[in-house]
Amino acid sequence: MSFSVSLRDVTLKYRDSEALSNVNLELEAGKIHGLLGRNGAGKTTLLSLLAAFRKPTAGTVLVNGGPIWENAEIVSRVALIREGGDFDDSDTVKSSIETGEIRPSFDRDYALKLADKFELPLNKKVRSLSRGKRSVLAAICGLAARAELAMFDEVHLGMDAPTRDAFYKELLADYMDREHTIVLSTHLIDEVANYLEEVVILDRGSVLRHEPVEAFQRMGATLTGPADAVDAVAVGLEVLAEQRLGGTKSATVTVLDAPTRERAAASGIEIGPVGLQDLFIHLTSPERDGA
Amino acid sequence: MSATKTLQLPTRRYWLGPALTWEALKYYRYWFVAAIVLSALLPFLVSFSRDIDTSTWSYTANIGAIFTAIVAGGFLYSLAPSFIANSLTRRELVVSFGLFGLTWGLFCGALVFAGLVAEHAYYGAMGWTQSIEYSGELTVMASFGQAAEHGALYLLAYPLYFLGGAIIGAATYRWEGTGWLIAFPVAVVVIGLTDALSRTVPTGPDWLRFVTEYAQGWGRGAVLAAFAAALVIGAAIGYRLLIDIPVRAKKA
Repeated sequence: MSFSVSLRDVTLKYRDSEALSNVNLELEAGKIHGLLGRNGAGKTTLLSLLAAFRKPTAGTVLVNGGPIWENAEIVSRVALIREGGDFDDSDTVKSSIETGEIRPSFDRDYALKLADKFELPLNKKVRSLSRGKRSVLAAICGLAARAELAMFDEVHLGMDAPTRDAFYKELLADYMDREHTIVLSTHLIDEVANYLEEVVILDRGSVLRHEPVEAFQRMGATLTGPADAVDAVAVGLEVLAEQRLGGTKSATVTVLDAPTRERAAASGIEIGPVGLQDLFIHLTSPERDGA
Repeated sequence: MSATKTLQLPTRRYWLGPALTWEALKYYRYWFVAAIVLSALLPFLVSFSRDIDTSTWSYTANIGAIFTAIVAGGFLYSLAPSFIANSLTRRELVVSFGLFGLTWGLFCGALVFAGLVAEHAYYGAMGWTQSIEYSGELTVMASFGQAAEHGALYLLAYPLYFLGGAIIGAATYRWEGTGWLIAFPVAVVVIGLTDALSRTVPTGPDWLRFVTEYAQGWGRGAVLAAFAAALVIGAAIGYRLLIDIPVRAKKA
């Protein structure tokens, strides 16, 4: 079983400032969702609402069709793992793992197996762990939670590249093994892009785009070739970005229909895909004024 | 902590509280042993240089009350975010800590009660006088009954100290930077009522005496009524502080 998510007209205020403004969002069950946004866009706040870490100022947060707030049956099957984890720093690694057993579905043996795999010192205090090891501990607790909705908020920060790779593989193996919903919030977009099925882009407290990853891939193209030819083809298209080096120009455009594609090819222009990260950078650029 | 019946979803709010008491008692077991040994050893050593006329255990009991408040506040401050992050609801948290406070307070209160009675026997065997200080004078606990009567007060006082500590811990987490200020009114109420009930001098900072001594003249019935009211109102305040407490992001 896996959980769907529904936010209806959700607003969250920190004193006078709105971290989320009137957000409406539906996340389908059983998929891997990417949650992207610039710093301060509201990603952590949104995830905090989905895990009942916070109560919205207004609106409704539903998980698996029911309200998440104070709903033990649902919230016990939802896990939000934040960067560094929510541990009692004076605890040992082993105790921190065992605290996870508050969750009925927590798989202690799996957690200890992962701790061994990632070389976590069980008897060390959490406060004495390096940032990377602390992130590993958080990731392990998230995986072992065996949650129906598992959310990882920048949990990979501090992990070195091989550890991150091992984490992604473990996450994917668990996903293949057991149907559940995953939300990954990250700034390392290219690293996770291949795993994502849907992508939500938050910007300034609102949902900027929410599409299947294929839709994002179709959303743009990079045209590279002689500057004049590129300019000619790009006329009438929404240009996200331009780069010029001597007589060669590269233009990132949003939509490229079949006739334009043929015309570009005939003009000797190379057509390349737009990476999710590039698209994200352009879509959330301050110059786009909310896009 | 075992993940058997303690943490089964329908019952975890009830089992978690006593489980916390058990874990805390295990964690602090050497502190308890040290307190008991020192309370017995200290008057014995002092008796070589002077007469023993005050109850050492009553000092231990007062320190224990403050310790109880610190345990409550410290545990709540550090465990609440971790427990909520691990899927405990706020209501479950409130009930768990309520039961933690009740079982811890009653256990420690019973320990103090037993200690005072045992001390009475110890002092009697050694030919010493067991007394407590009240209004600048020593009030002698002349019988087991008087020692037990004084000891019984701690069965009420410890849960109140726990509640006070829990309120301070919850407020400190909830309102980062300013929440700890609630310690002042909480300390006045908790210490004032306990002192009024036990009819001993106020414990704590000297300036507090001017605030707490007002209640010393009350009759026992009035103090007990105020005590009960403080427990109920304190529990309501604790509930209100915790029922929608946010889990803050840790500072990087």
